[in-house]
Amino acid sequence: MRTMPTDACLDPYVRCALSGAAQTALGVSDSAVLAHAPQGCNYLVDGAFSWQDCDYAQTTTLCTKLCEDEIVHGGEELLARTILEAKELDISALFVLSACGPEIVGDDIVAVCEDMQPKVDFKIIPIECAGFRGSQYDGIDLALDAMLRTLAETRPTIPNSVCLVAPHANANPTWMADLAWVKDVLSRLGVQVVATLTHATPLSDLADVAAAEGVLQLSHDAGYRAVAYLADTFGVEPLCAELPLPIGMTNARRWLTSLGERFDAEPIAENMIADGERMVTETCRRRWPMARFFYRTPAAIVADATIGIPLVRFATEEMELTPALVALRSANLDAERLLERELNELGLAPQVVCGTDVYTTRRSLEAVRPRVVFGSTIERHASEGLDVPYIFEVVRPVRQFRLLNREYFGYRGILNLLECIQNEWSDRWRSTQRRYAARW
Amino acid sequence: MKQIAIYGKGGIGKSTIASNISAALNEQGVNVMQVGCDPKRDSTRILAGGHLIPAVLEIYRDKLRHGQDAHAISLEDIVFKTPSGIYCVEAGGPEPGIGCAGRGVLTALQILKDLKAFETYAIDVAIYDVLGDVVCGGFAMPIREGFASEIYLVCSGGFMSIYAANNIARAVQRLARRGDTGLSGIICNSNGDDALERAVVPVFAQRLGTSFVEFVPRSSVIQACELEGRAVVEHAPQSDEAAIFRDLARKVMENDVKVIPTPVEELPELEELYRKNLVKVEAV
Repeated sequence: MRTMPTDACLDPYVRCALSGAAQTALGVSDSAVLAHAPQGCNYLVDGAFSWQDCDYAQTTTLCTKLCEDEIVHGGEELLARTILEAKELDISALFVLSACGPEIVGDDIVAVCEDMQPKVDFKIIPIECAGFRGSQYDGIDLALDAMLRTLAETRPTIPNSVCLVAPHANANPTWMADLAWVKDVLSRLGVQVVATLTHATPLSDLADVAAAEGVLQLSHDAGYRAVAYLADTFGVEPLCAELPLPIGMTNARRWLTSLGERFDAEPIAENMIADGERMVTETCRRRWPMARFFYRTPAAIVADATIGIPLVRFATEEMELTPALVALRSANLDAERLLERELNELGLAPQVVCGTDVYTTRRSLEAVRPRVVFGSTIERHASEGLDVPYIFEVVRPVRQFRLLNREYFGYRGILNLLECIQNEWSDRWRSTQRRYAARW
Repeated sequence: MKQIAIYGKGGIGKSTIASNISAALNEQGVNVMQVGCDPKRDSTRILAGGHLIPAVLEIYRDKLRHGQDAHAISLEDIVFKTPSGIYCVEAGGPEPGIGCAGRGVLTALQILKDLKAFETYAIDVAIYDVLGDVVCGGFAMPIREGFASEIYLVCSGGFMSIYAANNIARAVQRLARRGDTGLSGIICNSNGDDALERAVVPVFAQRLGTSFVEFVPRSSVIQACELEGRAVVEHAPQSDEAAIFRDLARKVMENDVKVIPTPVEELPELEELYRKNLVKVEAV
């Protein structure tokens, strides 16, 4: 049964559109981000800075720090002055992001950017992304939209090439590892990556993005609009569009097979699959993870769609759990259709919540009473008093400090997930209090 | 101190009514301050001899640009006393099409409050002349922040004018629950259709649960005074119109009734109320 939160969003998981737009803009190298916002909103840009692993020596963020005067009289003048001040920076592009305040009082950042463009050497790209426009995933879409419409140009198609969309719209706290795995796979298949939208992406790549033969969307939460725009405007072919992302054995196999077939590299793809599956089984045989007594245990998956949808098959096939609740942090019709197909194929009928918030998750957990939850630190707290023995913290925010990037995609990704599961299982086992609470 | 707010549809004559009430009260020995809450800052024009006085937000902005803040503003900068002794303030605000005028009004009123303007000048009556319509939360600030407690609606006999007044009454109904604020009456500023207006406006007032305070006729005397930048009681003191404004000022001073209005919720009901009176007048 599919449900949506009916009340106002009480405690959203995801941040606002400004945050998502900043995450996207900060993925472009040799550029700066100017938040036309009060200083509090600028903290979201700081958060986005970390999410994109930006380098303080290379990436600059600016803020107009709007005060009462700019709210009363409008802040266009201040924005124009600040853009001029950015002339001192050695950048190729300036992304101008608007927060709620200036959009409510009618600041026209697009007009200001157009007026200022002749006065500066760098490209100015306005992104109207006030927080009230939606979630951070909507912000990612708004930013990708602005970038593509402003920067993408018609180019001759490069054979065997792809562009990657929205790798950062992924709640794996170290999502760069997923992107690295995808790039490695493509390289081994002999496929050139023309542009990544976005992570450390040169501005020139954005201009060349339409030269790609295909587009690979690396998120089920954002990027659908960008993929549609590239397909409709430049004829770039969407790839693996009907498949869940490659998390878990079956998903990875299907995804690699599809790419191998598309780029006439089936033998390479088959080898990668065979090697990967062998590596996983041999590692598990050698290390012998103990957390394997989950047969038909009811599970809840509370995650973004990017991880949550593929986890359904992973939990069902690899872990032999029975998903009883799937709660996705975003509500996207394409993602929902994909989830529905997966559930039908697997013969599952869990409770499905799209666009969940923390309150709705708690209510759903109360209703379903799972024994296992795939989620985050938030679900650990949301499950308090519900007698849930195991909370596998695999999505942001996690408690663990991660120094190294760890992918969820591909075969090492399976081991990374199993490692999280094993550690939680051991932690429960070793704690006397938790051991008895666990009942197993 | 009485604190009065004048609301109504844009262009209905709120500033004319407010200024003439101020002048009439002043003539009666009442110490009055009129506060224009409109970015156009033309509320006090006819009190100030046809001139536009500097606005609070304009001065505030000037101070900010010179590295100062609201504390650098003094009452002498923002309060202007007319030769006849009326204190005038204009909130001011952004250019058309940008910024938030509502927020501006609140900022200006807060500055006025912080500087203890009413206490300093021992004001008996403060009249807030509020921009056009309750177009956003900001314009309700004089009510919401407790600056104004008695609200008068200005309307004519035009249907859309009554419709706008009804909308404002809805805002007053919402805001009146929060504090010591209420609707004190309706003033009709005639558009020339006297018979219809004298029939429909009192009925509308009754429907809102408030009183019909005064009928101000459409008059060339009032127009001439406005053109000269003078209040009617000053420029044409012997006229019938001056007598009407004196009477209106007296009623405003004497009135201490304020109600939570009961606005018409559905448009058809308002149409029916209007149609009935229109038919009655046509029959006569």
